[in-house]
Amino acid sequence: MKRIFFILFFIFILVQPSFAAWPQIHGFIETDYGVKLSDDDTKRDNYNLFEQRLQLRANHYFSGDNYLAQKGGALSFRGDFTVDEYYSGKTDFELRELNLSLTPVDFMDLKIGRQVLTWGTGDYLFINDMFSKDYVSFFTGRDDEYLKKPSDAIKASLYPKFANIDFIVIPYFTPNTIAKGDRLSFFDSFQGGITGVNSDRDIIKPPFQMSNNEYALRFYRNFGSNEGAFYFFHGFDKNPRSYKNEALKQLYYEPVDVYGASLRGPFASGIGNIEFGYINSRDDSDGNIRTVENSFFKTMAGYTKDLGNDLKVGFQYMYEQRLDYSEYRDNLLPNDYRWDEYRHLITNRITKLFKNQTVMVSLFTFYSPSDDDGYVRSSVSYDISDQWKVTFGANLPWGEDDTTEFGQMKRNKNIYTRIRYSF
Amino acid sequence: MKKIFLLLVILGFCANFVFAQNVDEIINKANLVSYYAGKDGKSKVKMIITDSQGRKRNREFKILRFNVKDGGEQKFYVYFEKPTDVARMTYMVWKNLGKDDDRWMYLPALDLVRRIAASDKRSSFVGSHFVYEDVSGRGVDTDIHELLGEEDGFYKIKNTPKDDQGIEFSTYAVWIDKNNFMPMKAEYYNKAGDLIRTIEALEVKDIDGHPTVFKSQATDFERGGQTVMEFSDVQYDIGLDDNIFTERYLRKPPMQWIQ
Repeated sequence: MKRIFFILFFIFILVQPSFAAWPQIHGFIETDYGVKLSDDDTKRDNYNLFEQRLQLRANHYFSGDNYLAQKGGALSFRGDFTVDEYYSGKTDFELRELNLSLTPVDFMDLKIGRQVLTWGTGDYLFINDMFSKDYVSFFTGRDDEYLKKPSDAIKASLYPKFANIDFIVIPYFTPNTIAKGDRLSFFDSFQGGITGVNSDRDIIKPPFQMSNNEYALRFYRNFGSNEGAFYFFHGFDKNPRSYKNEALKQLYYEPVDVYGASLRGPFASGIGNIEFGYINSRDDSDGNIRTVENSFFKTMAGYTKDLGNDLKVGFQYMYEQRLDYSEYRDNLLPNDYRWDEYRHLITNRITKLFKNQTVMVSLFTFYSPSDDDGYVRSSVSYDISDQWKVTFGANLPWGEDDTTEFGQMKRNKNIYTRIRYSF
Repeated sequence: MKKIFLLLVILGFCANFVFAQNVDEIINKANLVSYYAGKDGKSKVKMIITDSQGRKRNREFKILRFNVKDGGEQKFYVYFEKPTDVARMTYMVWKNLGKDDDRWMYLPALDLVRRIAASDKRSSFVGSHFVYEDVSGRGVDTDIHELLGEEDGFYKIKNTPKDDQGIEFSTYAVWIDKNNFMPMKAEYYNKAGDLIRTIEALEVKDIDGHPTVFKSQATDFERGGQTVMEFSDVQYDIGLDDNIFTERYLRKPPMQWIQ
């Protein structure tokens, strides 16, 4: 992480004479406040979001006679300074983007450094997008931008005639940010229930070494108006789903390979998409090691339609199957939690704009009939002017059980407000 | 007597036919003049959106256009510069005839290419009083055209949608300059015959032999408010490549054309 920063810093020093003028700086300053609607044992009873944020961003396009200018070189920077009242006014800086992009040869683009990475066809659902996410931001009501966590990576995009190819190397593992009990409560199997600050599990990250590099590959191309893609990922699960050492309450990110494909295009006067993926759990390919998560098969189908008058609706269905289930079941010990073999999940999105598109009302609903849980995410935002924007929203996860994906989040219900000034 | 009547009917029929051909020709020419100038083109656009209470908002973007076929398919690329919260967002349209357009949007903060369902061409373009069709053109076959007459150097043409489903107006009249076939004004009427909306070309200049709108205005009489669109740095036949209108350049803007 630091290394990439230094490399970029050196590039910056080397090319500095080619800066004709300092790049323009834009960004925003905002305040977020989220009130808790349910009780749990996290650090604070009243709120789980209260922070000020200053985001600065700048882009520089190289000009002149140097190599970078000739190759369309550009530097992108995006960074957030935060004051987090949840941790008694703790200040922090999060570097979200600092990368160099260039086109060394006509058929290839390179992007080196910290960058946000995304692909796949789902809306808040991810099968082949194995890049890191921040679910704490997602459930507390920060802007959607913060669901995506940046990665330190090298991305090469190749454009031969027959297809487009993205190849990504991520040398430094970045896990998902998930609930750990201080800000959001969750189901902790070591504690046997929904847990707050009492959680004392230990999560082991893969060490920084060549053999732990992550690789992601995508082939994609258009067939008329349709877009087809194949995906491959070699790396680690971004959630710690497996046990390293139960006695020490150690969890780890089990290594996985993901193979998948997707198709997206016009369908029934809307946009349809399908995607599937096979996730091979490399430490437990046969499914008989009870401490390591099994392999999975996942598939989804989605449909979005524009109903006119700035009203859009979308539906998705996702199916997940834990493979080698009988091996898994046969190897469980009497006191182990037993996870289900199947999961069905449906989602619905409704977005409506009012008043020259300055007011946006959005409702996103997750519902799993098999887990008997769900999550309602709604928001209303208003662009008061080109600079000022206010947002009100609610995050309402619920569930019959404490162990399911949304059920374990049920004590984190909140409503939030945000006011942002952009410059 | 009968013969004369028959002759009149035949004459009337022929006149109608000639007239009909004329009006379609005018509409086709106007369509080419306003949306297909050159093989390709680029322009800088500034929008000033004023709502019914007089509050102003600004939008600034660059637009690149590529004609796949004259009078037919086109590709558009839009690079947003202002307001700053949408700066660096890019937007791409493949305009199709006879089926829905293909639209994509790239959100740089999320590194997300979003496919946009685009069946509603009558919805507002970026929150302005212009709708998508005003920007990319309304298919010439979607309306029945009727030449109402010629006045002060303009053809006045009445247009009635063949299919009025999901369309906020019932007819519109357009004034086309007889000299260069540039549509200079359009008035939209509802079922009751009230004027609900106008679009006017306020300033037209000649660029490389192509009459070009430099300033236009859309006014909403129903809800109030108007949008002024100002064009600058207009160039034609700059040698754009079809390749620019792909996901590659959606993610990495072609700065040589954008700057």
